[in-house]
Amino acid sequence: MATLQINGQTMDIGEIDPSTPLLWVLRDTVGLLGTKYGCGIAQCGACTVHLNGAPVRSCQIPVGNLTNEQITTIEGMAAADGTLTPVQQAWIEHDVPQCGYCQAGQIMSASALLKNNSNPSDAEIDAAMSGNICRCATYTRIKRAIKSAASSMNGTAFYNAAKQGEQV
Amino acid sequence: MNKPIKTQHQALPLADLPEFFQEMINASDLPEMKQPEVSRRGFLQLSGLAGGGLVLGGFATAGSQRAFAQDAAADVATLSPYVQIKPDGRIIIFAKNPECGQGIKTGLPLIIAEELDCAWQDVDVVQADVDATKYGAQLAAGSLSTLQNWMGMRQAGATARAMVLAAAAKQLKLPVAELTTADTKVIHAASTREWSYGEFAELAATMPVPDVATLILKDKSQFKLLGRRFTGVDNVAIVTGLPLFGADKVLPEMTYATFTKCPQVAGKAVSFNEAHIKSLPGVIDAFIIEPFLDARFFSANNGAHFGGVAIVASNTWAAIKAKRELAVQWDTSTAESATWDELVARATALADQDGEPLMVNVGPPGPNGPNRAPADRGDAPAALASAAKVISAFYEYPYVTHAQLEPETATALFKDGKIEIWAPAQIPQGGETGAAVVAGVEEVNSTLHMTRIGGGFGRKLANDYVFEATAIARRMEGRPVKLQWTREDDMMHDFYRPGGFHSYKAGLDASGNLIAFQDHFISMTGNGTGPMTSADLSASVFPMDIVPNLKLTQTLFQNGISTGPMRAPSSNAIAFTFQSFLHELAVASGKDHVQFLLDTLGDELPSEDPRGMHRGRAASVIKAVAERAGWGKEMPAGRALGLSYYFCHSGYVAQIADVEVSASKEVRVHKVWAVADFGFIHNLNGAENQLEGGIVDGLSQLFNAKITFNNGVIQQQNFHQYPLLRMPQTPELDTLFLQPEEFAPSGGGEPSMPPLLAAVSNAIFNATGERIRKMPLSESGYRLV
Repeated sequence: MATLQINGQTMDIGEIDPSTPLLWVLRDTVGLLGTKYGCGIAQCGACTVHLNGAPVRSCQIPVGNLTNEQITTIEGMAAADGTLTPVQQAWIEHDVPQCGYCQAGQIMSASALLKNNSNPSDAEIDAAMSGNICRCATYTRIKRAIKSAASSMNGTAFYNAAKQGEQV
Repeated sequence: MNKPIKTQHQALPLADLPEFFQEMINASDLPEMKQPEVSRRGFLQLSGLAGGGLVLGGFATAGSQRAFAQDAAADVATLSPYVQIKPDGRIIIFAKNPECGQGIKTGLPLIIAEELDCAWQDVDVVQADVDATKYGAQLAAGSLSTLQNWMGMRQAGATARAMVLAAAAKQLKLPVAELTTADTKVIHAASTREWSYGEFAELAATMPVPDVATLILKDKSQFKLLGRRFTGVDNVAIVTGLPLFGADKVLPEMTYATFTKCPQVAGKAVSFNEAHIKSLPGVIDAFIIEPFLDARFFSANNGAHFGGVAIVASNTWAAIKAKRELAVQWDTSTAESATWDELVARATALADQDGEPLMVNVGPPGPNGPNRAPADRGDAPAALASAAKVISAFYEYPYVTHAQLEPETATALFKDGKIEIWAPAQIPQGGETGAAVVAGVEEVNSTLHMTRIGGGFGRKLANDYVFEATAIARRMEGRPVKLQWTREDDMMHDFYRPGGFHSYKAGLDASGNLIAFQDHFISMTGNGTGPMTSADLSASVFPMDIVPNLKLTQTLFQNGISTGPMRAPSSNAIAFTFQSFLHELAVASGKDHVQFLLDTLGDELPSEDPRGMHRGRAASVIKAVAERAGWGKEMPAGRALGLSYYFCHSGYVAQIADVEVSASKEVRVHKVWAVADFGFIHNLNGAENQLEGGIVDGLSQLFNAKITFNNGVIQQQNFHQYPLLRMPQTPELDTLFLQPEEFAPSGGGEPSMPPLLAAVSNAIFNATGERIRKMPLSESGYRLV
């Protein structure tokens, strides 16, 4: 019986074909459905998760290659009490999602960026996010949300999202 | 003023939907379909008494209310199919239409909440069931949701508010005239007392549904919610990864399926290596599904359903692995055999000729079928012969695919003679009805649950994947099946935006005024009965609706590669060709581009066609975007502004792009300004998102999007062969909404995109002098950086 370390928990995944991509183990076996299938060839980034803190495309990671790596998915980002991360909070406030299908992957890439670089430049944001496609094209809002999250984490001022119900 | 040709206007793209759905939409008798009256009387006049006869089909009738109440939880009071109130004052508002990223799950409930006079934080939004008797047409199509539902949603909110007030008056034994409402509370000003709506919920649900003619709607000045900013109601679920989307439904004992169609479009499966496939690990069953040929769901002219091989396994990966080992014998005797490059060569050879007269609808269909006449006004050949200048140009655009990020998927269970489906579907009622046919059950035994749609763009108007899941579930009776298309399935088996060709000829008089316009439109037909879906041309496209001498001809190539609506159908490609050619005419006229467009628009009048273009609104967005972008300002060498304007789906959008072109044809789009008029904007966040997304979507299409086919086989399979725009290529965006008060609110999803195409291409001309007459621009060596 194989196990995986997912979101801080040890998960039994039973007898499983070792060639199965982590993506499908998460979705079909573990029942964590936030990680999305978009292309299967690491082109779109919808399946992005963290492996020992680094963003990877889970459609390209055969589960047989994994042993004790710490896997983090979108479901593992918020605190146990439900408190959202600054990145998640910024995504909501800047009303980033349109269809929303890619956004778990976008948030995983953005969160990994901000963990290593608390004040990224535009070019650094572009580089870190260029593996994630948003077909609805929410890129300008994603960038604003990343800057907003960074400033909130650093305690500095940046563009504040409009408040809920703000008059225009 | 020249009398416009009366046509069935492109703004209502019902021609793009199968006949069945057109009937469904038309039959729903929605108030905003009476657009001329709404426009004339105006927004503010529609406040106050709602007037009779404007009620949404079934929205507040006693019968539907009782039926709905049977489903409700015990402590929840059901006032109507749209509104429930809990004893603690929480309000549940049902979102009737499918959400595919257009923001309608937030937008429509906001309208109800406004007239119900409740605080938005007291509201929980729930996706409604699929039920035409309760909700009328439920669809995500044609940027129609706001336009069609604006008045109905207000009435739904006002109805529930009136019932709460009536219940409060009865319960408190006070005259209803002494009671008012605010922020989910009933207020008695005389005694300065107030009560939560929850205190009257149970009684309110038993109150008679008021006559719609007695409803008092708010004046715009009384709006507390509409016209402000609100974030999406599913945002928290999205950013925390909760299951929302098509493939996220989990059922006990669920199986997982793939479906494989013939690579050559319209080929049929004869046999496959069944024993081998069934011997593979995890495979539960494998079988051939025959095509669904019901003409109500697939028109033979647009590419029908073609059947294929289903593999059912214990998990998705096992099904995908087995799919890779599938060896199918295909019958390609009736498959498509077109090759794109050959079509391009044939079309190019026809550039200097006219085609057959292009027929357009000139009125509603009569007893003998469509009411059509040639699009021919004045005397275009004579006007061209006498013109001071004649300009000709040949434009080309390719097939493109929707590329919505969520591949087609549906989960279905056939059990006890009933089919139940969970699916992302832009026309869920059609999916439910069709699934009944496929499953061989009465419609009452078919249920489709709307999931959030992981991108639609028109792809999920076709329910082909819903029907496939149904057919597979029928075979797997008693066991749920989750069908998952791969990206390769998606890209090779779309209902594509068709490619096409326009051979233009236009005449200018000595003053540079447009006096004659001809277009030989070369397009596609599936079975010879006329243009395929989205392969048609409406004579109401600017400037054809205005020019005094017009002649349209058409040549149709036989090519049955399936086509369907894609964001701004029948506008997304021709906005590039028409607005690029208009810029060519502007250059030839010697006039400034802005001035040429305004001169061509002429008098700032509404169209005689109630759904046609209002020239004053058109002029307003053009003038506003020119001012905002500083049109005419000095630009550095190799850098220029480009302008484009387009009207479709009731929306007016003008865009200006600031574009820099290097010697090696690397293009950087620094900034795009967009000014839109969709009438009153009731949620600015939502409207901005649509406009911003449309611009960036347009850049993807302009520079890179191209589907090709060789002998009927689509040549692109995944994103490495069909690149979508990414963050580094995204320009700075500047958006503004003009909100004239006298027009009904309309949608922004579709009209946001088309102008971008020519705005950037025109800017490249202004920067380099090179006119590009073919999409995508990558074909001409340009690369977006």
